[in-house]
Amino acid sequence: MELSHVSRVYGTGEAAVWALRDVSLIIRAGDFVSIVGPSGSGKSTMLGLLGCLDVPTEGTITVGDEEVTRLADAARTRVRGKSIGFVFQQFHLIPHLDALGNVETALLYRSLKPAERRERAMASLEQVGLGRRADHRPVQLSGGEQQRVALARALVTEPKILLADEPTGALDTKNAANVMEILSGLRSTERAVVIVTHDTSIANSAARKVSMLDGGIVSDEVLRP
Amino acid sequence: MSTFKDLVRVAFTGLLARKVRTLLLLLGPMIGVAAIIASVGLTDSAKGDLKQKVAKLGTNLIEAAASSSFGGQNPTLPTDAVERALTVYTVEKVSAVVELSNIVVSPYEEAREKFETVPIPVLGTDSNLPEVLQVDLVSGRWINQFDEESSVRAAVIGVGLAREFDVLPGENRTIELNGIAYGVVGILNSVELEPGFDNAVFISFARAEIDFLNDDVKPNKMYVRCAEGTEAETSEALKTAVNLGGPQEITTDIKSEALELAAQSDRQLQMIVISMGLLAIIVGGLGIANVMSISVIQRSAEIGIRRALGHTRNIIAIQFLFEAIVVGVIGGILGVLLGMLAIFIGASIAGWVFVMASWLAPAGIVLAITISILAGLYPARRAAALEPLETLRLG
Repeated sequence: MELSHVSRVYGTGEAAVWALRDVSLIIRAGDFVSIVGPSGSGKSTMLGLLGCLDVPTEGTITVGDEEVTRLADAARTRVRGKSIGFVFQQFHLIPHLDALGNVETALLYRSLKPAERRERAMASLEQVGLGRRADHRPVQLSGGEQQRVALARALVTEPKILLADEPTGALDTKNAANVMEILSGLRSTERAVVIVTHDTSIANSAARKVSMLDGGIVSDEVLRP
Repeated sequence: MSTFKDLVRVAFTGLLARKVRTLLLLLGPMIGVAAIIASVGLTDSAKGDLKQKVAKLGTNLIEAAASSSFGGQNPTLPTDAVERALTVYTVEKVSAVVELSNIVVSPYEEAREKFETVPIPVLGTDSNLPEVLQVDLVSGRWINQFDEESSVRAAVIGVGLAREFDVLPGENRTIELNGIAYGVVGILNSVELEPGFDNAVFISFARAEIDFLNDDVKPNKMYVRCAEGTEAETSEALKTAVNLGGPQEITTDIKSEALELAAQSDRQLQMIVISMGLLAIIVGGLGIANVMSISVIQRSAEIGIRRALGHTRNIIAIQFLFEAIVVGVIGGILGVLLGMLAIFIGASIAGWVFVMASWLAPAGIVLAITISILAGLYPARRAAALEPLETLRLG
């Protein structure tokens, strides 16, 4: 994935706010990147752009060999479904569905047979260690378990990029460590894991750290191979 | 196809997860459809009843009555009115009646006081009446040719009167007309178009002439059966044929037309109830639009995450529409069932035949679905317009 001279402006004229200014960033398969910065640094905007939830005012974004910035909303949505998995601070599980149902949601409308969808969702749940909790609803699960369901949901589509927004923000230390461990184990030769956070200690546990301030990247360092 | 199945499945799980809300959503289309089905069905059942009456009656019955536009006290037809009517070649059968006034009828001496207060019509008639009116006798026989010729004091009473007098079928009774004893030879079944006959006493013209009139019998009403399809022409021709330009006026009345008119007045009532049903279903539709709009706000996070997971705007919109459609289908089906139940109960109480046009059920369901789709369009569009980034409240 590549961001090239990307800017994002909210509003127009005098009220215009430059949330990102001329940012370029390349994320490759196998990366385990953290994007860190205080609030207002532009990291949320960055997440929106990386997740193809938003388009930049200027510059281009490519995912694989697809130039996302040129695509219409529906096509961009499909790229998102195919290539990107999301994990949010607030989990955002669908309350009336059980864990399995939540994971299956990511596989809806993809011309999959129900049995196959179920199988893949189950495999994904087992990958995060929740195979036996498949029929539990979100309210019956702890925060850590809910976040793992969210992880399973993000993984089930086999995305190229896993985007995690403050994934440990709503969790206690133990669960946070557990989720981070799973996250770090998820990067592969096929997949990059990107964590957006304001927490430097979380950021430092990644392999590569991108620090942001005032809508720009101030440093991009490799912490460990 | 599997996407379609997904849409249906997700709609169902979504609706099942919020049972009370779904139930409230169902009420609108359900009550609306039920009201429409019930109103159409009930009026159809009533009409079906009228149609049965018309069929029983035959469409070719004409009533010709002497009218009193010249101010005559007791308008009458000419003595030979029946013969004159038969000169109209489309006329098949004729029967005449004369109403005899001021006759006290009592079944036995002791009851005289009781029955004096309620006047019981006594009619002189001929042997053809049941045949022309297509009415049968509950028991016994009608006044026959022999009764007429021999002037026997034979009487037939209406079924209502028989009930009042406690005459059992087959039981011989004597009734007194102005103190003259008559033997009851039969009981006439109820006549749909002449409810007055139920409580009447019938005697032969010949006897009426001797016992109660000091003059030739002049009937005041005739019942005419004409060839099918010639009702209008025959009733016109009868006027001339019977009075031959004489001073007495005649009004004719095709009996089946009156019943059809009655069916038509029901149609107006039906329109009113259908409008109310439509109103109910529109209000129900507004309810769906309202509840679903609120639901879109409540579920904005869910919509956001679905969008992030790669569900397109179209899918989100169609998904919401499908929820509305499922509500429409179920509401419509329940409404049809409820409406049918209402027709059944209504028809049973009124003693009608259950009539429900075959197009009613599908029409009701289609209406419910149409309203639901219209109602679901706005919330669906709002759901699709949500920006995932905003609803997920990043950062």
